[in-house]
Amino acid sequence: MIKFFTFLSLFIVVFLLGQPTVLAADADTESNSPIDIMGTVADHDYFTFFGTKLYLPRLFLWQDDNGSTQFSTYGSTKKALASGNFEQIDYVITPVKGSMLIDFSLTSHLLYFWFGLGALALFTMYAGSRYKKGIGTSTAPKGVLQNLFEVFYEFIRDEVAKPNIEGDKHKKYVPYLFTMFMSIAFMNIFGLLPYAATATADITVTAVLASFTFFVTQFSGTKDHWQHVFWFPGVPLGVKFLMIPVELIGLFTKPFALAIRLFANMMSGKIMIIAILGLIFIFNEMYGSIAAYGVSIFSVVVTSILYILKLLVAILQAYIFSLLSAVFIGMAVEEHEHDHDHEEHIHADLSV
Amino acid sequence: MLYLLASGGLLSFNTGFAIWIAISLVVFLLIMMKYAMPPIMAALEGRETKIRESLEAAEVALAKAEAISKDNDKALREAEQTAHQIRKEAKEEAERIRGERVAKAKDEAEQIIEQAKVDIEQEKQSALLALRQEVAHLAIKSASMILDAELDEEKNKKLVDNYINDLSKN
Repeated sequence: MIKFFTFLSLFIVVFLLGQPTVLAADADTESNSPIDIMGTVADHDYFTFFGTKLYLPRLFLWQDDNGSTQFSTYGSTKKALASGNFEQIDYVITPVKGSMLIDFSLTSHLLYFWFGLGALALFTMYAGSRYKKGIGTSTAPKGVLQNLFEVFYEFIRDEVAKPNIEGDKHKKYVPYLFTMFMSIAFMNIFGLLPYAATATADITVTAVLASFTFFVTQFSGTKDHWQHVFWFPGVPLGVKFLMIPVELIGLFTKPFALAIRLFANMMSGKIMIIAILGLIFIFNEMYGSIAAYGVSIFSVVVTSILYILKLLVAILQAYIFSLLSAVFIGMAVEEHEHDHDHEEHIHADLSV
Repeated sequence: MLYLLASGGLLSFNTGFAIWIAISLVVFLLIMMKYAMPPIMAALEGRETKIRESLEAAEVALAKAEAISKDNDKALREAEQTAHQIRKEAKEEAERIRGERVAKAKDEAEQIIEQAKVDIEQEKQSALLALRQEVAHLAIKSASMILDAELDEEKNKKLVDNYINDLSKN
């Protein structure tokens, strides 16, 4: 299922990449089905806090019919619509006259992305203040949080960065890998909270995260790395030319796989939970309340198991993302004389 | 699946949202890489280095202590051996000196005895000579007295000589 999803999203993302699309607006009024799976997992223009919807400000960069570019800000979607400049067509906000350039609106996923970064910032600042005080440097580390911080930090440094990035170079990338791992883990775990949204279950977020790994990888590429891309060593001349497009595609498929893997894993779990819990309401509508009670036993048990699984997946996907980032960076910074099992290496890693 | 294709759907790439994310991630990464992480990394690395160095130093110290104790044992054994050797040597030396002294004393004693014998012999010879002369003298004196009385010196001298020869043979 995930493979099919990945395959499908490959096409869709390519088609939609770079197009100024806008958000799914408040989908309350729409549904005639008892549950709205897509509406729940999609990004929103509001932030739910224990069932209360807090509408987020909307920021539009748009072109009016005179052709002049304008930047408008509104407190919420309703205010934007009330201004008369914008209308809602198929839950998409578009200017009445002119066209939307970029929709900069704050969204629930953006907020949860910031929460993830904020949680990591607090965590890191707390640990940093501890080390500054001398706890953990001249004495043993004290307290659950500091020890937890060390567990994650040393895990990233010793198990992710060190084995994959050769020599002393790995030290340079530890902060990046640690930031990626922890922020993704925080975002994934925040997504498990009630009423919360999972920022990583958004292709935009994972695409940006993966593109960061892509840029870090390319900017730290050695001569060997680029030689492998444009003039593959140790093969006949004809094959060298053949390898150029293969390697060039390879550069982009690596971060693409990163983005899709994280997105699909987080999204599928979310959809599964909503669908299984939604069975209760569907059965209630179709077969009556007794059937719904019966199904609820099944649904709740399966959802509990799924939640445990999702907690595991939340950490696991953060780990896989940072591990593969480390592997890609490690391959780019590697300086080797002649390494012919290189390609096998890539494929083995991509199949994770 | 049509829902997915709709703009604003699940798989749409939202440019404005992406710009927000990219900006926040860049700022956050810069803060983390420049300010937040380096002191922590340095602190942890410092601690690890310290622990590693302490362990290594402890190992070295232990090895040193073991070597010292081994050296001490060796030195003790050597000292014992040396003492034994010295005692043995001293004993031998004493024995040797004693033997030498005894031999020397014996030699000296023998020499003294020899000397004494030689002296005695000399004394005896000189005494004998003196006695002979005295006897001769006495004899001559007595002979002259007899001569005075008989004057047959030839006969008497022969008599006296015989007598002296007989005397010296005794």
